Amino acid sequence: MRAVSSRDLVDLLHVIEWDVRKLRRQTLFVAMRTTWFILQVIVFGTSISLLVSSFPGLNYYDFYLLGVFTALVYSVSIARGYEIADEFDEGIVEYHLALPVKRSTLALGRVLGGSVASFLFTLPMYAFIMFMIRPDNAFYVLVSLAAIYLFSAGVVGLVITVVLSVKSTDATDILMGVIDALLVRLSTVFYPAPVIAKVLPYYYASLANPISSVSDFLRVLFLPEYVVYASLPPQGQVAYIVGLAVGFSYLAIYVISHKLEAGGWR
Amino acid sequence: MKSVLVIAARDLKRFWSYRFWLAGQIVMNVADIVIFGLLFNNMINRSLIPDYIKFVTPGILSLALFISSFSIGREVGVELRREVSDYLLSLPVSRVELVLGRFTGGALRGLIYQSGFIVLAMLLVGVPSGYAWLVVAYTSITLSFAMSGLSIALSTVTRDFNLQATIRSVVYYVLFFFSNIFYPPRVIAARFGGFADAVAYSPLSIATSLYRWAFGYTSEVDVAVDSLLLAAWTAVLLLASYFLYLRNLTKKG
Repeated sequence: MRAVSSRDLVDLLHVIEWDVRKLRRQTLFVAMRTTWFILQVIVFGTSISLLVSSFPGLNYYDFYLLGVFTALVYSVSIARGYEIADEFDEGIVEYHLALPVKRSTLALGRVLGGSVASFLFTLPMYAFIMFMIRPDNAFYVLVSLAAIYLFSAGVVGLVITVVLSVKSTDATDILMGVIDALLVRLSTVFYPAPVIAKVLPYYYASLANPISSVSDFLRVLFLPEYVVYASLPPQGQVAYIVGLAVGFSYLAIYVISHKLEAGGWR
Repeated sequence: MKSVLVIAARDLKRFWSYRFWLAGQIVMNVADIVIFGLLFNNMINRSLIPDYIKFVTPGILSLALFISSFSIGREVGVELRREVSDYLLSLPVSRVELVLGRFTGGALRGLIYQSGFIVLAMLLVGVPSGYAWLVVAYTSITLSFAMSGLSIALSTVTRDFNLQATIRSVVYYVLFFFSNIFYPPRVIAARFGGFADAVAYSPLSIATSLYRWAFGYTSEVDVAVDSLLLAAWTAVLLLASYFLYLRNLTKKG
């Protein structure tokens, strides 16, 4: 096993910084996205929750808030796919490959940088959700932030793996759109597990869906009464979130380190 | 007129090249209806909406038309960024014909995409009678032109791809949430008081009310007034979009 030099660490930090610094140019973008998220939560969320008949011990609006935030983290992380497609279009991926940086360092830096950028992007929305939920335990807030970061890392890993494997703008557009829309729908983001359980194929799909694990884990943290509605026990949810982050990050690092070549973008 | 049709046909032809996107959109829209039927219908307070599927299906008609007419905006944005717009301006057609052709192309996309959902609405809600078919056709044509024009104009506000997508999304969600597609006006009134009146006058709400009337979901719609309001929205949006698109198309830098 090769030793990691201080030079590698500096390179790694530079690659991460490159991804994170792009956020500075996206201030307006973040502001607009936050605005429409707040609009969605206030207008759509409150109206739709008034339509829903009551569940014992469960406030549907709180349920919805944590679900829709999970869907947002997921969509923002998926959007990294479009950015990578843009980078290919503009020759930035080739530029990265030509840098005097080890492939493994570049790969790890892109996964960490992408997930940190996605995570930071969602923080204003997270603050708004916390303002609405008003948690009484600061430790749970930290745990939820860790879970959100791990989830983001897993999704960014998935996106990097898919986009750098298909190497096509159109395929990226379609695949990311379908993955995004399908996974959000086949989850417990908007519907509690007991409601979904009435349609068994749907229920099993939502059990296998990491978005369900994250949204249910956040609900169990902040809405303890929700535990009777959750799709999996909390330990199972944590195992799923960590497994997703480690598995897809490794896959993305493998693709960048061993498979990625310049050119061939369609 | 011929030039307008040639430009529109070009946009329509390109629509087919996105057949996978189209298939994905259709699957998503149908999935929404199925999910609403299987899951959300069981969660709804029946005293507010007895049958949510019948309630939401006419709204999905508006949504389908809106999404597909809006899709042209993304391409117009890419054209501007890659300077294809310069090529379009050099074509032997007048500026008016070019802009009208683009609007027509976007509207035709919406009408074609929506047709399958009209069949679905007939199966799930009811079959419109003779005069009601005219209302369906009128609503679809006016709304598709209005949304096509709006999407095209918005996509040319900036050359930044992310910002283009964000602006389209913000407008998309504002129109989408401030409408009666997913909830009835009395629910909006219960939450937001007099603001419900403003929501009732949004173009998507008006179109959805007309569809609900035409497919027999409700008779409590003033068809004449709503039709006039929709015409007014379409005229204003098309005029504003026309000038905005033309200004941004010819602007340098």
